[in-house]
Amino acid sequence: MSQGLTGPSPNERPKPEGRRNSQGIRIDPEIEAEPKARRAVVSALVKHQPGVLAEVSALFSRRQFNIESLTVGATYDDDYARITLVVEEPDPGIEQVEKQLEKLIPVIAVDELEPDAIRREIALVKVEGDEPEAVHAVAEMYGGKVVDASEETVTVELTGSQQKIEAAIDTFDRFAIREIARAGTVALERGAEATG
Amino acid sequence: MSEPAHAVSRDEEESTDDQPTTGASSVIAALENASVEIVFGIQGGAIMPVYDALYHSDVRHVTMAHEQGAAHAADAFGIVSGRPGVCMATSGPGATNLVTGIADANMDSDPLVALTGQVPTAFVGNDAFQETDTIGVTMPITKANYFADDADTVGDTVGEAFALAEGGRQGPTLVDLPKDVTQTETDHEPGMPTPPESYEVPDEADPETVEAATRALEGAEKPVILAGGGVIKGNASEELRAFATAYEIPVVTTMPAIGSFPEDHDLAMEIAGMHGTGYANMAVTHCDVMFAIGTRFDDRLTGGVETFAPDAEVIHVDIDPAEISKNIHADYPLVGDAKTVIDQVDQAMTATPDAAAWREQCHAWKDEYPMDYQAPDDEPLKPQFVVEAVDEATDDDTIVTTGVGQHQMWAMQYWTYTKPRTWVSSHGLGTMGYGLPAAIGARLAADDDQSVVCFDGDGSFLMTGQELSVAVREELDITVFVLNNAAIGMVRQGAGCLLRRAADGLGVPVDPRVRHASRGLRGARLPARNLRSGSRDGRSGPRLRRAVGRRRVYRPGGERVSDGAERRRQRPVRHEPGPHGGALNGR
Repeated sequence: MSQGLTGPSPNERPKPEGRRNSQGIRIDPEIEAEPKARRAVVSALVKHQPGVLAEVSALFSRRQFNIESLTVGATYDDDYARITLVVEEPDPGIEQVEKQLEKLIPVIAVDELEPDAIRREIALVKVEGDEPEAVHAVAEMYGGKVVDASEETVTVELTGSQQKIEAAIDTFDRFAIREIARAGTVALERGAEATG
Repeated sequence: MSEPAHAVSRDEEESTDDQPTTGASSVIAALENASVEIVFGIQGGAIMPVYDALYHSDVRHVTMAHEQGAAHAADAFGIVSGRPGVCMATSGPGATNLVTGIADANMDSDPLVALTGQVPTAFVGNDAFQETDTIGVTMPITKANYFADDADTVGDTVGEAFALAEGGRQGPTLVDLPKDVTQTETDHEPGMPTPPESYEVPDEADPETVEAATRALEGAEKPVILAGGGVIKGNASEELRAFATAYEIPVVTTMPAIGSFPEDHDLAMEIAGMHGTGYANMAVTHCDVMFAIGTRFDDRLTGGVETFAPDAEVIHVDIDPAEISKNIHADYPLVGDAKTVIDQVDQAMTATPDAAAWREQCHAWKDEYPMDYQAPDDEPLKPQFVVEAVDEATDDDTIVTTGVGQHQMWAMQYWTYTKPRTWVSSHGLGTMGYGLPAAIGARLAADDDQSVVCFDGDGSFLMTGQELSVAVREELDITVFVLNNAAIGMVRQGAGCLLRRAADGLGVPVDPRVRHASRGLRGARLPARNLRSGSRDGRSGPRLRRAVGRRRVYRPGGERVSDGAERRRQRPVRHEPGPHGGALNGR
């Protein structure tokens, strides 16, 4: 079996004590656990041209990045659009998301937003119209407004953080929700700091 | 003639001889601006206007037998020349046939430009004849791709695609050319190839990190340099050699880096990874500082990351920031050009690491775990012997191309590579059938006095064997050795090892006498040891030699060296019929 191999066989060879985790980081296996995923908002300034959204979403799909929401919209400059992503990954994963995005040729700049950045979502909630006044009162409580009312339904527009919208939806549930449409997070840095 | 009016009319006549300037002619003008001299491809309907313009230029076109061959030939042309190879195909099946070759180039960061025909823009999206969403199909396997929608800008778009394929971390780019765009007249002439403004290529690494990395390297007791394909792509082989020699640091290479460091050098540990040498893997496993240059730590190199160089601080040089800490955490990330950063580290070094004992250990491993094989007298011909014999019979600058499989590993293990860009193979994608079209591309990129040899397996050879017709027609001096074990041997090896059952053999023998259907090809079956006179017989033109090995002689030998990952030392061991011998040994 050893066929001219004079060194010790595999079981008899000295082996290094060290280990790396699945991210390739050297660790002490006794104490260190796998890094936890966290939620990060990443903003990418991209060229406003056909196919960019497809490129970005294909990147997330093929690299199996865990994406919570993706929103794309125009910016002040017609040549550029902004893509806002919410990802849930451990730190090395978030770093990869940013670097891989930056490699796409139409992507101009990528940045993870500060934890205190302004983040907003929008939702339209259509409920049964039996109690329009009560619906109106709940909408006001969440800073939303009634944007449509018919004999059968009332539709409310809500904006705010994800938590606020989810809380509002929970409350609206008692009026029997017919339909919901939601959009992903948009975000900007606070104060004078530029985004991405 | 002396009358001015007459002269003007002659000028007019001359200009009508010229083709009108169209989108297609600006595509070709862009190639000429990029100093492209040769294009590999296959004609077709939607790409016809571009071919028309091509035939009116001085750019040479080599018609391949299959578009996959065109992509591989262009890829190999890029590896050998360092500049993007260009392949061309029509829409639909032409484009989809290129896909394997483009994906191959993408995995190996080979510079490649693909030009594909497309149905006229008015038909796009209507499922027209030979329409495929080429942009959609190739998006994940190109560095960038472009749908050309304007005859005025199509030339500049091709220039940009060329600049991107060549610049920074090299890779494949594609321009999809709708027929109406290439037919439309334009007065716009394309400029020189220029990358987009927003494209930035890092050159120098951060000086503070260089300083810190250098201190770590100087203080190492068990340093290793891990050279990756980026050393060759970045033309840093000379710098690597000088650096390693000056500081006496053992050098391990990855497969794409073969030739970046001379394998006959005292410090050479050769190739690490699944199919590498035992001593290279021992050095990787036990080093305390790893100076990794231009490698992406592919899983065929690392095996399970848990046990890859587990005690080593990693200094990682790469021109692509996204490779830093992607698979293996970099303690010292050095983003920049390989040549520049080696130079930076060299400048910062103040001492040679105190590693005499380590070098001695490395040498001991080389003695203890050598690459060798048994060649009993009753064996017809060992593939390892074929590789060694051809190496001996050819010059040092001979280019070796391979398909993918066991023959590829033997060509890698038993040939001594000493020069960059002499190893042309498919690494990341593992594309069977790469070898023969690659030999054609390599031949056309190589110097005239350089030999080109292709080692192929019978399985791999059958996948693109039709490209022999191209070699014959173009009178290309290449020699193909088919290491014939009548099987998809590596898969059989894996199946025998992991599944404990044998995979099916090929069933159809590859015989050069059959291949004589390609007129002008000389073939031979090499039954025994007359090989040394085999590759150089003073005649030029393509040759096909089939080295016949005993069927099913090899089974996975050695040991599994990783926990979990399928990583094993590949040492051919003479098969002795065991519990599974019947399945492995039956003829």
